[in-house]
Amino acid sequence: MSENLKLQPIQNWLKKNNWFFYDHQLETLNQSINGRDVLLIAPTGGGKTLAGFLPSLHDLINNKFPDNKLHTLYISPLKALTIDVHRNLTNPIEDQKLDIRVETRTGDTSGYKKTRQKEVPPHMLMTTPESLALLLADTQAKEYFKFLRYLIIDEIHSLVNSKRGDLLSLNLSRLNNISPNCKRIGLSATIKNKKSTLNFLSQKKKSKIINIREKSSPKIEILETENRVPWSGHMAGYAITDIYKKIKLSSMTILFVNTRAQAELVFNKLWQENENNLKIAIHHGSLQKEIRRKVENLMSLGKLDCVVATSSLDLGIDWGKVDLVVQIGSPKGIARFLQRIGRSNHRFDEPSEALLVPSNRFEYLECISTIASIKANLLDEVRDKEGSLDVLAQHILGVACSNPFQIDDFFLEIKKAWPFRNLKKQTFLDVLEFVRNGGYSLKHYEQYAKIGINKNNFYAIKNKNIRNRYRLNVGTIVESYMLKVKLGNRTLGQVEEWFIEGLNEGDTFLFSGRVLEYQSITNNNIIVRSTNSAHPKIPSYAGGRLPLTSELSFQVRKLISKKEYWKHFPNQISDWLKLQNKFSGLPSVEGLLVETFPRHIKNKKRYFLICYTFEGRNANQTLGFLISKKMQRMGYKPISFVATDYALAIWSMIEVEDINIILNEDIMLDDLYEWLEETPLLKKNFRDAAIISGLIERTIPGRKKTGKQVMFSSDLIFNVLKKHEPNHILLQVARNDSYRGLIDLDRLGDFLKRIKNNIIHKRLDRISPLAVPLVLEINKQTIDKSEVDEYFLEELENEILTEVGLN
Amino acid sequence: MKTLNFCNHGLQICKEGVLFWLEKEIAIVSDLHLEKGSSYASSGQYIPPYDSEETLLKLLDILNNYKVRKVILLGDTFHDKDAFLRMTSKVRFLFEDFTIKYEVIFILGNHENKIKIEGIKFHQEYIVDNIHFLHEAIQKNINQISGHFHPVASIKVSSKKITSKCLIHSNNHIILPSFGEFTGGLNINDPVLKPFISEDYNIYFLTKKSIYKFSNKEIESQY
Repeated sequence: MSENLKLQPIQNWLKKNNWFFYDHQLETLNQSINGRDVLLIAPTGGGKTLAGFLPSLHDLINNKFPDNKLHTLYISPLKALTIDVHRNLTNPIEDQKLDIRVETRTGDTSGYKKTRQKEVPPHMLMTTPESLALLLADTQAKEYFKFLRYLIIDEIHSLVNSKRGDLLSLNLSRLNNISPNCKRIGLSATIKNKKSTLNFLSQKKKSKIINIREKSSPKIEILETENRVPWSGHMAGYAITDIYKKIKLSSMTILFVNTRAQAELVFNKLWQENENNLKIAIHHGSLQKEIRRKVENLMSLGKLDCVVATSSLDLGIDWGKVDLVVQIGSPKGIARFLQRIGRSNHRFDEPSEALLVPSNRFEYLECISTIASIKANLLDEVRDKEGSLDVLAQHILGVACSNPFQIDDFFLEIKKAWPFRNLKKQTFLDVLEFVRNGGYSLKHYEQYAKIGINKNNFYAIKNKNIRNRYRLNVGTIVESYMLKVKLGNRTLGQVEEWFIEGLNEGDTFLFSGRVLEYQSITNNNIIVRSTNSAHPKIPSYAGGRLPLTSELSFQVRKLISKKEYWKHFPNQISDWLKLQNKFSGLPSVEGLLVETFPRHIKNKKRYFLICYTFEGRNANQTLGFLISKKMQRMGYKPISFVATDYALAIWSMIEVEDINIILNEDIMLDDLYEWLEETPLLKKNFRDAAIISGLIERTIPGRKKTGKQVMFSSDLIFNVLKKHEPNHILLQVARNDSYRGLIDLDRLGDFLKRIKNNIIHKRLDRISPLAVPLVLEINKQTIDKSEVDEYFLEELENEILTEVGLN
Repeated sequence: MKTLNFCNHGLQICKEGVLFWLEKEIAIVSDLHLEKGSSYASSGQYIPPYDSEETLLKLLDILNNYKVRKVILLGDTFHDKDAFLRMTSKVRFLFEDFTIKYEVIFILGNHENKIKIEGIKFHQEYIVDNIHFLHEAIQKNINQISGHFHPVASIKVSSKKITSKCLIHSNNHIILPSFGEFTGGLNINDPVLKPFISEDYNIYFLTKKSIYKFSNKEIESQY
C-alpha cells in the first residue's frame, strides 16, 4: 500500500481479523482520490462493499468535514441489504472508535427517526432508490445534499434497465446539480453491458471501470440419478431423495428454485424425506417479513442445514457458511446462475460449487448448454431500455414538490439521466402537461391543475396537500393486490387476490411450508386452518418464470438435431429423443417441424398444433398471437396457446387442415398491433403506468381501494383513452412495455422466410414425446379473452339447453 | 335482445343494459353517472373527461333503433350535484338533444342529493300501470324496477371466471345494471342484495356480443 494513503484504523482492524486489502479495493480508492467515478465489477465475495466505502472512510478519517452534514449516501436495491451493510460497516468503526455516524433510512424507518435524520443527518446514510426520491422531494433537499462527497450504488446491475433504475437515474441527475463534486462508486456483479452501466452511474468525463474476474471457475455438475427424469413438470420430485443425500453431506446448503410454488413443494417433499431431522427452512417473497428475517438470522448464525429459496435470496447478503448451492430447474440465464452460485463459499479465491437439477427433459438440455456457456465465458445479452415516461411523470411531480423549476434547466437535467438521453423536448412538454392537468386535448382540467406557472415562468405545486399525496404514491413497483393469510391470530404471509378466486371453501394449499385449508375471507384476510391433507392444491404465484436467453435455446436446438451429441446424454434423455424420432420426427436446424393431433381436455375434443421453432419465447409468443388471430378469422375457434423457448402449441375447437396457409408470410403486423390492443398484458401494463404516473393513486388518505377496484377502473380508463386519445402518453408507455415483453419481430420475419416451402407436417393420432412438456405447461396464454369467453358461454348454454332437452 | 315476462308484460333487454317496454314505447335505463370522470379532477386525479359523451352517444344510438317515446332514468343519472355544471358544451348539447327528443323521467338517486338543474324535475318514484320505477329497491311486495346496485355476476366456465354486468329478475322485482361508462359493479352474491332477491331468480348476463340467461341454481351449482 502506498504511503500517501492514510488508512491506519481500517488496516488495524483488518489485521486484527487476519485480513488484508485486495488490490481492487486500493485501486478503487486511488481512482476515486484522483477524481474519477468508479464502476467496480467483481464476483460476489470479492470485498466489494469495503471497496465501495473505502474512499469515503479515507476522506472522513483524513479530512475535516462539518459534523452535522451528510457526507456519504449508499443506495441499495434491498432494504435488507442496507441493514446488513450498516452492520458490516459499524464493526470497524466501533472497533477503531472512529467518529463516524452511520444510519439506515428505508420505508421501515420510524417517523421519529426520519425527522431526526432530516434535522441532524448522519455522516453516512444507507437507503433505497424510493427513499432517495422522497428525500429529494423535500423542500430542504438542496441544503440536505449540498455537502455530499460520496455516493455508492450497490448491486447496480439489478437496477439499470428497469423502471426503478429510471427513477434512480433521474434522481442521480438531480444530485449531480445539487452536489456536482460528489464522487460516485457503482458496485456490480459480472455483466455484459459495462459501458452503459457506467454511463448510468456517472455524468462525469472522468470515470473508470475496474473489472475483476473470478480467480477460479466454478465447479458445476448436473445431478446424477437412478430415477426417471420426467418429460414435463417443474417440481423435480424425482430428485428429492438424491438432493436430500447431498444436503446431509454438506454443512449448509441453499436450494434455489425459480417460483414460490416450487419452493413450497420442494420444501414439503424434503420434510417428508427428513429422517435425520435436519434443520430445513423456506424463504420466499410472499412470506411474512418476520418469518423471513428469522430464517436469515438463523442462516448467518450457521444454525440451519438447508434453506429452500427463490430469488428473494439472490442478492447481496453474505451468508458465510454456505458450501453447496443447488439449483432446481434450469437457471434460464447465465448471469443469474453465476450470481446464485456465488452464494456458496463466499470467499473470493476459492471456486464455488453448484449442483444443477433439471426438472424435466428439456431442462436437462438447457442445463448442459448452461454449463458449456459458463465454460466459454459467455454472458447474456441485455438490451438497453429507454427511460419510461410514467416514471418521468412521477419524477416531475417530485421535483415540483421540492422547489419551483424552469422548463429549460429542468429539461437539460433530465437529459443527463442516461435512460432519458434521447428524450425529445416535445415529449417532455407533453409529460409535463400530463402531470399538471391530465394533458387531454380537451383543455378541461386546467382549473384543477396540480402544478401552477408563476409570472416568471417558474413551475410549482399549488398546495402542500399535493406533496403529501405524492409521498404516498412514490415508487415504481406495482404489486398485485395481496391478501393476508391468517392462521388463528398469526399472519403467515400474503398471496395475490386472484389465487384465492380459484379456491373453494375446504380446498387445501401449501403455504409457508404447511398444508392449509381455506375457510373464508374476512376483512381482506384469508382465514385458514392446518390440515393433514395429503394432496394440497399448490399455490401458483404470478411471475417467477424467466425466459431462456436466445443463445441457450439455439444451443438446445443444435443438441437435439445432431444425433452424434446424444451419446453424451444419460440414456433416458437419448431414449426420449429416439422415441420422438420414431413416433414423429426430429426438429431440423433448417426447416420447421409441425405436428397436429387431437386430444381431450376435460372430456372435450380439442385439436393441437405444435410448431418447433426454437426461436425463443418472445418470438414464439408473437407467432402464437398471429397464428391464433388468423385461425380465429378462418373459423377454427382457437382456445389457447402455450409458448416456450422451443415451441408453440395452439389448440382449437376445429381441426386445421392446411398448415401452409396458417404459417404463410402474410400473417402480418396489422394483426399484431390490433391483437396487442386487446391483450391482458397491455391492460396490466397500462394499470401499472397509470399508478406509477399518478393518474390513479395507490392510496388516498383515509381510504384504501381494493385491488379489484383499481383494476376495474383502470380498464375503463384504458378503453375510453384508446378511443378518444389513442396516442396518450400512458398508452404509449403501456404499448412500449408490452412490445418489450413480447415481440421479437426481426427474428420472426427471418424465421418465416426461412421455413417457406420447408415445413414438415406430421399428422399424428396422438401426442408426441416432444409435445408432452408443452401441452402440460401451466402458464397458458389466452387468446383474445372476450372472444374465447363467448365460445365458452355458447358451449355452456348449449350444454344447459341439451340437459333440459331443448337442443 | 331477450324477452322476459314481468308481471304479464313482455319486456326486452338489450346487451348494453337498456330495458324496453315497447308496447308502451318506454325505455328504462339506470345509473348513467354522468361526469364521473371529471369528479376526480378537483382532487388532482385527471381521469379522462370523455365518459359522459361516451355514455350519451351510446344511449342515443341504442334508442334510435326502437320506437321509443318515453325514457325513464332510474336515478344516479348525474354522478354528483355539480356534474351538470362541469359538462363541456358538446356534452350539454348531446344532453339537450336527448331531453328534447324524448320525454325523460328522472328518478332521484342517492348521488343526486341536493341537486338542482333548471328545467329538470326529479321524482322519488314513477308509476306506470302497476309497476313502480325506483332508484333503490324496497322490501315491499309491489312490482318494482330499480337500479342503484350495479349488479354484476361471475360465471365459471372452463375453470375460470367471466365477470360481467347483469340484470336480475326475481318475481316482481327487476334490478337493472348500471349503464354509465365509468361505473363499477357489485356481485349478485353480495349480502347487501339479499333482502331484495327471492330464493329463485334469473339473471340476464350481458357481454359484448350477446345476452345469456342463467337461473341462480345454474350459477350456484358451479361452486
